[in-house]
Amino acid sequence: MTATLTAPAPVKNKGGKPKANREAILLFLPALLPVLILSVYPLIRGIALGFTDARAGLHVETNFVGFDNFGKLVQNHLFWDSFRIGVIWTLSVTILQFVAALGLALLLNANLRFRGVARTLALIPWAMPPVVVAIMWRLLLHPTNGPVNEVLQKLNLTDHPINFLGDFSTALPAVIVVGIWVGMPMTTITLLAGLQGIDRTLYEAAAVDGASTWSQFWNITLPQLRTVIVAITSLDMIWNFNSFGLVYVLTAGGPGGKTMLPMLFAYNEAFRYGNFGMAAAMGDVMVVIIIGFLFFYLRNRLRSEA
Amino acid sequence: MRTRSGVRALQYIAVICYLVFLGFPLLWLISSSLKSPQEFASITPSLLPKHFDLSNYTDALNEQGLVRGLSNSLQISIYSTILVLIVALPVSYALARFRSRLRPLTNGWILVSQVFPVILIVIPLFMILRPLHLTNTIPGVVIVYMVWSLPFALWMLQGYVAAVPRELEEAASVDGAGRIRTIVSIVMPLLRPGLIATAMFTFISAWNEFFFALVLLQDPQLKTLPLVLARFVGAEGQVQFGPLAAASVLATVPSLVFFAFLQRRLTSGLLSGAVKG
Amino acid sequence: MKKVLTALLAAGALVTLAACGGNSDDGGSGSSNEKVTLKFQSLAFQKTTVAATKKIVADWNAANPNIQVEYVQGSWDSVHDQLVTQFQGGTAPDIIHDESADITGFINQGYLADLSPYLSQETKDAVSQGVWDTVSKDGKVYAAPTLLQSYVVFANSAALKSAGITATGDSLSWDDLAADAKKLTAGGKYGLGWGLKSPTATMLNLGANFDAKFFDGSGKDAKATIGDAELEVPKRIHAMAYDDKSIDPTSLTLSGTDVLPGFYAGKYGMVVAGNYVAQQILQEAPKTFQWEVLPPLKGTSTKQAANPQTLSVPAEGKHIEQSAKFIDYYMKAENLAAVGQGDWLIPTTQAARDAVLKATGGKNGWQQILASGAELTKAPFQSVENYPQWKDQIATPAFQQYLANKTDAAALGKKLSDGWGQVNN
Repeated sequence: MTATLTAPAPVKNKGGKPKANREAILLFLPALLPVLILSVYPLIRGIALGFTDARAGLHVETNFVGFDNFGKLVQNHLFWDSFRIGVIWTLSVTILQFVAALGLALLLNANLRFRGVARTLALIPWAMPPVVVAIMWRLLLHPTNGPVNEVLQKLNLTDHPINFLGDFSTALPAVIVVGIWVGMPMTTITLLAGLQGIDRTLYEAAAVDGASTWSQFWNITLPQLRTVIVAITSLDMIWNFNSFGLVYVLTAGGPGGKTMLPMLFAYNEAFRYGNFGMAAAMGDVMVVIIIGFLFFYLRNRLRSEA
Repeated sequence: MRTRSGVRALQYIAVICYLVFLGFPLLWLISSSLKSPQEFASITPSLLPKHFDLSNYTDALNEQGLVRGLSNSLQISIYSTILVLIVALPVSYALARFRSRLRPLTNGWILVSQVFPVILIVIPLFMILRPLHLTNTIPGVVIVYMVWSLPFALWMLQGYVAAVPRELEEAASVDGAGRIRTIVSIVMPLLRPGLIATAMFTFISAWNEFFFALVLLQDPQLKTLPLVLARFVGAEGQVQFGPLAAASVLATVPSLVFFAFLQRRLTSGLLSGAVKG
Repeated sequence: MKKVLTALLAAGALVTLAACGGNSDDGGSGSSNEKVTLKFQSLAFQKTTVAATKKIVADWNAANPNIQVEYVQGSWDSVHDQLVTQFQGGTAPDIIHDESADITGFINQGYLADLSPYLSQETKDAVSQGVWDTVSKDGKVYAAPTLLQSYVVFANSAALKSAGITATGDSLSWDDLAADAKKLTAGGKYGLGWGLKSPTATMLNLGANFDAKFFDGSGKDAKATIGDAELEVPKRIHAMAYDDKSIDPTSLTLSGTDVLPGFYAGKYGMVVAGNYVAQQILQEAPKTFQWEVLPPLKGTSTKQAANPQTLSVPAEGKHIEQSAKFIDYYMKAENLAAVGQGDWLIPTTQAARDAVLKATGGKNGWQQILASGAELTKAPFQSVENYPQWKDQIATPAFQQYLANKTDAAALGKKLSDGWGQVNN
């Protein structure tokens, strides 16, 4: 087996292409079957569902309806309202989270004492089950007996308790903060792993040349982290756009629809009203829009050059 | 020298601020889990419970299936983590290194699978697992978690693989090492931080996953921890917070131990050595 | 790796064995009576109720060796999603615990079995017609209603006393409620805290006090009718919050249970909430805190919409008859009384209510709570097919805006009726 796989020529050599393809397929093999059966097939079913009138119900016939669902969706301003909220939420959480996580990852990568402890503690939000996270934050932000309001009032930052999650002006910012908190560990640890992978000699050489910390960061760290940054921010973006469980428990989309994320909207459509076809159409629209958006972001990565 | 120690101090302060932001909720959770219901509902909250009350813990532990749930979750998370790493490493290597036609297809699949609402996938997925006798079994859940954590693992790992200098492998190829051996002996050690980050992600997403488990596992003996925790949440926002907090503290500890253990291995440092040597 | 694989294989083998073992039961081991095992997914929440429910199951199993019931713990939070998927996949439990508002959709979708041929006459007679109506459609009965909740007024006894309020009589009019709240409002304290984070259910259920219909007709043809009667409850709450300033406006954005700390601390003299909150008050209020339940709220009547908890059987269930027998047993007065007492909910049968009254001596507000249960009945919105969508997308945001004083009553009414046109097409 190993003998047949021996490839003396470097892979980027064009002459070796058929062989490279065969090798690639071999490497893919263990993943192929489970992915095709348990992911690709259900996904295709799910996407196709958007072109049908599938509804919940016993022995309900499902018919192909072409683009009917999409036609209706264009006029559904509630959906587009929630889409707008989704975009605000996604961009705010992703960007703020990235900036905060990069700062933390750099600190945790520095040669500080107790960094092992700090690294573990920084992962706390990750270790808490999502149900608990949401209930926990509801208590922290509680207007009558939550510590956040208590502290704000002690510091005289506010004269009356604020119901962050229930007030029209603070609800979206509040859930964004919780969103950042929840996703921080994930982003931090990925960036930290990326930082760990950077060749130390690059810094040593730069230090010899007398480069400042800032210019080292700008000229070595960021370029070296590029692939990891692109990978994690694009995933964060997708996940944030997709998340709804957290917000569902925090605000259930309220007050007055201010935190109604698109995925929550689609979820209700499928599971509460039983309109699977329409909900799948919403999913399709989101797939097209997000992938279109990401396409620009990921141009280089998606192009099939290694 | 002075400015350096000044910078150091600032760094420590910044770390502490981060940790307070990230860790305070856990502290509050622990403190709440030790409060009696009366103190918990008090309008003047305090970080330290006035009287330590362990009844929440006894309540939580008496709850049918909490210990069982912990062990089920642990098994499922560990198996799916190992499976994901085994499957993802060769694929991500191939994705990063070969210009194969599978590459755009796979990346397309990764993106679509992450974007399309998972809730709509559950029903077709369920229909496939049932004739295979994989519903209501731990292996079924493990495979589902493996497949659904895979996109993330591939997406991240190919980024990390791309960062591994190609010259190292080429040197190995010249030495006559086979592809698999190259991956195992050259690429894998250099990927260690990436593999660990991926392992942590897979573990935790399996540990916390709720919806698939809810739908796939019906036997009370097989329920995972998040399913057991959900039991403390009632209708119309009613929550038995004391036992929930206690059970969550118990649920959080294994993941933190796991993190503490793994993060120590996060440092690579091998890279510079390998290139130099 | 090897170990994992072996473990996986072993686990797989075990499961296959278990499955085979299960099958041999169905095949019949020579006994003449078919032995069945029914899965009963219960949503019992409080410890006491879980224990009471398990006892019912154990008693039943001891008496019925051929119809064994297996208790499976579910949770309110996730039951809907779980059932949707299980119905689609054909794996729903044999006996389903839920509530009438949630199963209306399932009834329309044909997932639930008609129980009317199976339930005993005794069970049928024990529950009032108004409550049966909430689980029936076209003369068929899709569930047995078990426990009810109503909205009641909890009051801080000491605060009432010092404000010189004595609440007696069979009912408390909305005018009296407003007057009492005003009296209790002083010195930074509010007369009333009202957790209306999810306002729609409260508005519609209590709306029945003023004969509010909200809908005319049923199914897909229903029309929204938003008039003075429908806006009466929202207007009164709004007036208390913003004219009298006797309701803390912040409390209107909290959930029903989130207002309780303020209630214990004396910040609110009274709170309006579902009666089940009594259990929580009993558990977590300071020992010195004295509280009581005021008589049922009355507009033109003390009627409220009934949304009972239910037990149903899936239409595709294999053992509908046996499941119905267990439901009959569950509906017996002593059983309903036991579960009702635990979750602090009102049993649907008079016999069980009497049993609870006897067991509790009417203390801790039980007398008033049980009294409020007699007037619960079906409201028109409960048979409107697209009600859930209207509730989430139209009514809840509209009520929230109105309660936050961002719109006026006329705009609220317009939104509620125009919104119906949007979602019901």
